[in-house]
Amino acid sequence: MMDLSGARQGLLRGFRGLVAGAMARDLRAFVVPGEDVANALGLDLDAAGLIRAVTPRHANVLLIAGPLPTALADAASVVWAQMPRPRCILALGEVDLGPLPSADVTAEMSQAGLISGLEDLRKLIRNGAFAPDIAEFDAPALSEWIEYTCPMHPEVISDEPGKCPKCGMFLVERRVSGAAPHAHEGHEGHEGHEGHEGHEGHEGHEKSSAVSTQAEKAHHQSDAVTSAETSASYVCPMHPEVTSDTPGSCPKCGMNLVPQAEAGEHAHHGHHAHHGHGHHAEPASEPTGPYTCPMHPEVTSDAPGSCPKCGMDLVPQTEPGKHGHGGHGGHKHHKDMPAQEGQGEHAAHGAHEQQDAHGAHHGHAGHGAAPDIPGIEPHFMSMVELTEGKPVSPDGLVMEWIDAPFGPFFPGLPGGLQMVLTLDGDSIAGADIKGMDAAALPSGVALEDFAASLADAVPLSPVAMRELACRAAEAATGQTAPKDVLTARAAAVERERIASHLNWLAGLARQVGLFSLSRKAADLQCDVRTAQADGLAEQEGAINSLLTAARQGSFLRSKLSGIGTLKGALEGPAARAAGHPSDARHGDVVYDELGFEPITQDQGDAMARLRQRCAEIAQSLDLIAEAGAIAMPAVPRAKGDGHGMAALETPRGPATLYLTLKGGMVSSTHLTTPFAALAAHVPDVIKQMELADALTVIGSLDLDPWSATQ
Amino acid sequence: MSIAVIILALAIGCYAVAVLEGWAVHGRLSLTRPATSALALLGREQILPRTSDRLFFEVGPVLLLVAGLLSVAVIPLAPGLIITDLAIGALFLNAALAYVLVALIMAGWGPNGAYGMVGGWRFLGQFIAYAMLIVMPITAVAMRAESLSTTQIVLSQAALWNIAYQPIGFVLFVIAAMGVAWLPPIDLPTGGGDLAGGVEAEYTGARLAVLRLARLVIIVALAGATVTFYLGGWLGPWLPGWVWTALKTLAVAAGMLALGSRLPRLREAKYLELSWKLGITLALANIFLVGVIALVVPI
Repeated sequence: MMDLSGARQGLLRGFRGLVAGAMARDLRAFVVPGEDVANALGLDLDAAGLIRAVTPRHANVLLIAGPLPTALADAASVVWAQMPRPRCILALGEVDLGPLPSADVTAEMSQAGLISGLEDLRKLIRNGAFAPDIAEFDAPALSEWIEYTCPMHPEVISDEPGKCPKCGMFLVERRVSGAAPHAHEGHEGHEGHEGHEGHEGHEGHEKSSAVSTQAEKAHHQSDAVTSAETSASYVCPMHPEVTSDTPGSCPKCGMNLVPQAEAGEHAHHGHHAHHGHGHHAEPASEPTGPYTCPMHPEVTSDAPGSCPKCGMDLVPQTEPGKHGHGGHGGHKHHKDMPAQEGQGEHAAHGAHEQQDAHGAHHGHAGHGAAPDIPGIEPHFMSMVELTEGKPVSPDGLVMEWIDAPFGPFFPGLPGGLQMVLTLDGDSIAGADIKGMDAAALPSGVALEDFAASLADAVPLSPVAMRELACRAAEAATGQTAPKDVLTARAAAVERERIASHLNWLAGLARQVGLFSLSRKAADLQCDVRTAQADGLAEQEGAINSLLTAARQGSFLRSKLSGIGTLKGALEGPAARAAGHPSDARHGDVVYDELGFEPITQDQGDAMARLRQRCAEIAQSLDLIAEAGAIAMPAVPRAKGDGHGMAALETPRGPATLYLTLKGGMVSSTHLTTPFAALAAHVPDVIKQMELADALTVIGSLDLDPWSATQ
Repeated sequence: MSIAVIILALAIGCYAVAVLEGWAVHGRLSLTRPATSALALLGREQILPRTSDRLFFEVGPVLLLVAGLLSVAVIPLAPGLIITDLAIGALFLNAALAYVLVALIMAGWGPNGAYGMVGGWRFLGQFIAYAMLIVMPITAVAMRAESLSTTQIVLSQAALWNIAYQPIGFVLFVIAAMGVAWLPPIDLPTGGGDLAGGVEAEYTGARLAVLRLARLVIIVALAGATVTFYLGGWLGPWLPGWVWTALKTLAVAAGMLALGSRLPRLREAKYLELSWKLGITLALANIFLVGVIALVVPI
């Protein structure tokens, strides 16, 4: 029998059998590339009895809905590495899984395929959730990462740039590959599993180390390291006289011993550093100022501060037997402080003593420049000092900013959208947003193949893309379809607009936590996307009541009103929500026949975009009723050469396709979509917003990262 | 004996709330799902994030559970059926719930991940919003009962339940209680759409099971507190007292969960603003009104 690719180590016996049975019934899926894409492809996850996990940590099924571009397959491999075992992969459609292990179950891309796939998966889990031998998985995206280390203290390793807590030097960057050196932190005895870094991993942006490593493997690694190094002798970077055959710590200062070769360079620096800290008290060659850098003796200053070369705190220069000088330094340092005022010479000597003690024991922590506060002991963690050099946000509160990756699989964003948000607490200090690097559109293929691959590349609006390809082909070949066919094709595009807007509504509702609205919208979306004109007429009542609920809900209104106001150069629904009647359907002969007039709102905020899309759904229903029939666009036969251009109002705004035919084949194409223009507004609009609002605003824009680059 | 009975009742209550939560969030009422989910969680691998603060990571969920259990200790199921009938029961409840904040910040900080950390600190903001609105309505309840003992508070409602006597306090307390239990729409520390699980995001396996259980205990404790303070506790005709407490508690929990699934997530600043500008004003008015009524009309 086939094993589960992500089985957990152990024998399937007794209690574990019961647990495996429970797991088979409790399937929690992390949907890749996202629920919006799954819905657009016609999957109703609720109806299939699947619970969605918001993070890979809570999931046991990786549901791959549709083909993944390479970048997303890499990101999915990180998600896979983050999921706790037992875990499994269900792939729908023909998918190249890239670095992921092959899918446990593959099924066709349809609701029936999903249901039967889940059934197979349940059987697999029931019988194979635990296995004595399990396959390891290392996500290639995580096999290399960047870490920061102190040149003086190799044992200091950090995921982020900063200063060494021991000596205050700037940490230097280094690129590391292989298993995480401290992966052992990740396992727990026989649990024996991955040294996951954490949150970032499932967004696939992991620069540090969500490396999945088996316990045994990590141990082997460290064994290898040890055996390779036993031939070298170890030395203390501070005390060259301390040597040892084995790694360990220096009996004099407790520092970790480093291999001799590596230490050679350090020893010299260590000497100076040491001197600076007052252990050895050896004079610097030519002191020209009372403060100097322990690493760079040529750097001197009359005032305390940090070294311009390496960032270490300057230390007072001390010469053997000349404590008076050091004391003077201490005196100088402290004399400006209110605490010392009027305390005379003794205070100055006290300061000297303190300064020395500082140097010896705490000097590393970088207190040198911090003012001592009366009544507070000198080693007090000063906020002024901790936040020194940190960026200041407009509210004046100084905090450490963090760059947090959101996407490509973040549950509150369109699937495939990648963002890095700089978070200043809970508000946005900066944003970097990008869509997907989709594969180039094919050239040298027949028109039919081109239209199909264009539709596949943009899963959120395949019909519009197909229609766009047809229109461009018609323009290139000079053919025109009969009027009723054109009308029916326009109706197909309108039907997709309804489905797309409903899907958008489901996503926005999910993002803000309106689960029941989200479910209803997603259900309707599934029904609408394949319905015929008469079927849509039947759904009209349900759609209208849903739209009323969405528009009238006063809590949703208060959440969306006034945020994310966009004015200025815009297109698509976002422009119409801001009062610009810009619509590619306006002036189109087919739509004119159907009596189309653009709808607009005034405010241009997130609520206006909701109202706009609701109004467009109602309008599209009317247009379809007017058209009477729906027909999928059929690509014309092409012969000879030609060049054609077509523009179409997709659900997200106008798309333009330039198409060149040579000998009946597509030779070159150029597609423009609304994504880039809209995404360019995002960083400015969400700046200084609370994270929740920022994500809501991005959700309200309905970005389609799939059409980002063509 | 009463401890065993109350722990059993608590376990049943938690299970029922889990069933109700499945209904509110996933739209499906399934009696077996919480059991299968819990079993499945126990079988999953436990992952320790690489650069985690191990102490905070491990202690957070356990402390949360302890805080929940402590607050249950002063909620009477029936006359005499209470773990400890402290003279300062209402105050003790408050003190126990203070550890929810500590536990969540620890759980958020522990894994060394952005989502968890933001979630944990968000809860600090949330705490500032709900803290006064837990204490001030309890003050008015205690004024009427002339006691902080939860048993006395129930007995003081024999003639008229506090929900009718001080409806403003009831509404404020329920909203604040939803904040304590981070129930939607005030689920800021875990918001799925905002933080991808937030505080819960890095927990797996049995640790996650403890975290989820702790939250259920807190929901039950707060629903029980609402019943004790405002809905007359075990008081009611025909049925035995403990049945009334159980029914009322479940009804309150169901109400809170149902409300949550129909409202969009509140913004942190909005919750703070509502709580302080409107909530505290109303809470003061409530205390004043209750004081006047208590002086003028002896019910």
